[in-house]
Amino acid sequence: MIRVENLIYRYDAGAPDCLRGVSLEIPEGIHTALIGPNRSGKTTLIKHLNALLFPAAGTVCVDGMMTTDASSVREIRRRVGMVFQNPESQIVGMTVEEDVAFGPENLALPSAEIRRRVDACLAMVGMKGFEKRAPHTLSGGEKRLLSIAGVVAMNPRYIAFDEPTAYLDPAGKQRVLEIIRRLNREGMAIIHIAHDMRDVAEAHRVVVMDRGRVLLTGTPAEVFGQAERLTAIGLDGLPGKGGR
Amino acid sequence: MIRLGQYLPGDTIVHRLDPRVKILSVVALSLLIFAATPVEIALISAFLAAVVRAARMTPAQAAGALRPVAVFMAMIFFVHLFFTEGQPLLSLAPLPVRITQEGLLRGIYVTWQFAGLILAAAVLTWSTSPSELVGGIERLLRPLSRVGIPSQDLAVMIAMALRFMPMLLEEYDRLRMAQMARGADFTTGSLALRTRAVAALAVPLLLSAFHRADELAVAMEARGYRRGPRTTLRELVFSGHDLGAFAVIGILILAAMIIKG
Repeated sequence: MIRVENLIYRYDAGAPDCLRGVSLEIPEGIHTALIGPNRSGKTTLIKHLNALLFPAAGTVCVDGMMTTDASSVREIRRRVGMVFQNPESQIVGMTVEEDVAFGPENLALPSAEIRRRVDACLAMVGMKGFEKRAPHTLSGGEKRLLSIAGVVAMNPRYIAFDEPTAYLDPAGKQRVLEIIRRLNREGMAIIHIAHDMRDVAEAHRVVVMDRGRVLLTGTPAEVFGQAERLTAIGLDGLPGKGGR
Repeated sequence: MIRLGQYLPGDTIVHRLDPRVKILSVVALSLLIFAATPVEIALISAFLAAVVRAARMTPAQAAGALRPVAVFMAMIFFVHLFFTEGQPLLSLAPLPVRITQEGLLRGIYVTWQFAGLILAAAVLTWSTSPSELVGGIERLLRPLSRVGIPSQDLAVMIAMALRFMPMLLEEYDRLRMAQMARGADFTTGSLALRTRAVAALAVPLLLSAFHRADELAVAMEARGYRRGPRTTLRELVFSGHDLGAFAVIGILILAAMIIKG
């Protein structure tokens, strides 16, 4: 369980608060969708979940460990994986397999175990045979899949995806959504930032953010039932009926 | 796209050697070449030629490795040719230089030495993937971590620099296209104008590089990168071939010592 309580955050002293008192619980094994207009604080929020950002006030607690406790940071980052919006700038390795190995290497796992995870994760995202390719020779969609494999290889309990279907063609989108579904079926908790509400129709829970606060929480049916409130903050209404 | 390090994947015995063995061999060969007499240089050249062949490199590729340093090699040659005292072959009066027999021989010898050094290094980068190279350097430097030199951090830094190169080139292309689409002209006009057009790319390119570096650092942190114990996907293990290669280099060094007396 990740427990966020009264989280307040601002990027620079004197700047307006980016998160203005967010409280949220993210249980294990659940697919949580996070939606909201630009600048509502979604990305800032998920960066708190694995101790990349630290609260100005309030707390973030992962499985009982405070993110502000320096001795827990390593374990928190192992438990909470993070797939960023731009796959380009999160690929570290000089080859595909080395990139997937980067996380497990940081966990100081034995070589044989790293090899096993690299193979399993590349197979999972359908990139078997790409092992020796250099990242800059991959297509945008392949880079996206690689960034997911690199996070899954750390075997986290929770994975936060920041708009994982951005810039992808329809087939690529379906592929990524299918991977997310599969990871969730296998027991991983998913935190999924999305703009296109059709992407999150099958989430267990939808959290709507607006201007640094949680506006609504509920099942997709409950949330999308409140079409006026969603339109009021600039979001489309029902999935499938939206204006896109 | 520029191929960095010019790694040419292959499955020859040279490719399969442990990167540490190759790095140390290049160091040893370089020392040998520096200390070599003309006769020894010929022997080492024959050895290098055999290695190039074993790595399935063509003579054209070998010549290609020397091309970027051709001007430098020519300079070395001519400096020795013109400025060595000795038996004059040709006087270039009224110029204050003349060509001597010693100068000619010395020029050939030093240039050959230099070519040998470049070729030895080229075989290393041809036959070793950048990551193997970085891994090898890291392992060789590891004893230094006891005196406070962070060999793993150094290795990651080199790897990041190599990873960034193609990224920056792509970014440069993207920025150039974006400016061309808005009417910038990089191909016509005076040299000064073109220079200014390219210079206008430098600032956005630099900004984007910093931005990328920032994002990459965050992504690395998110995936658990911190100082401290790490393991690697591929562990370097010495094989019989590696020991064989060491033996060959050892024999070369011994031979050189015996010749010198």
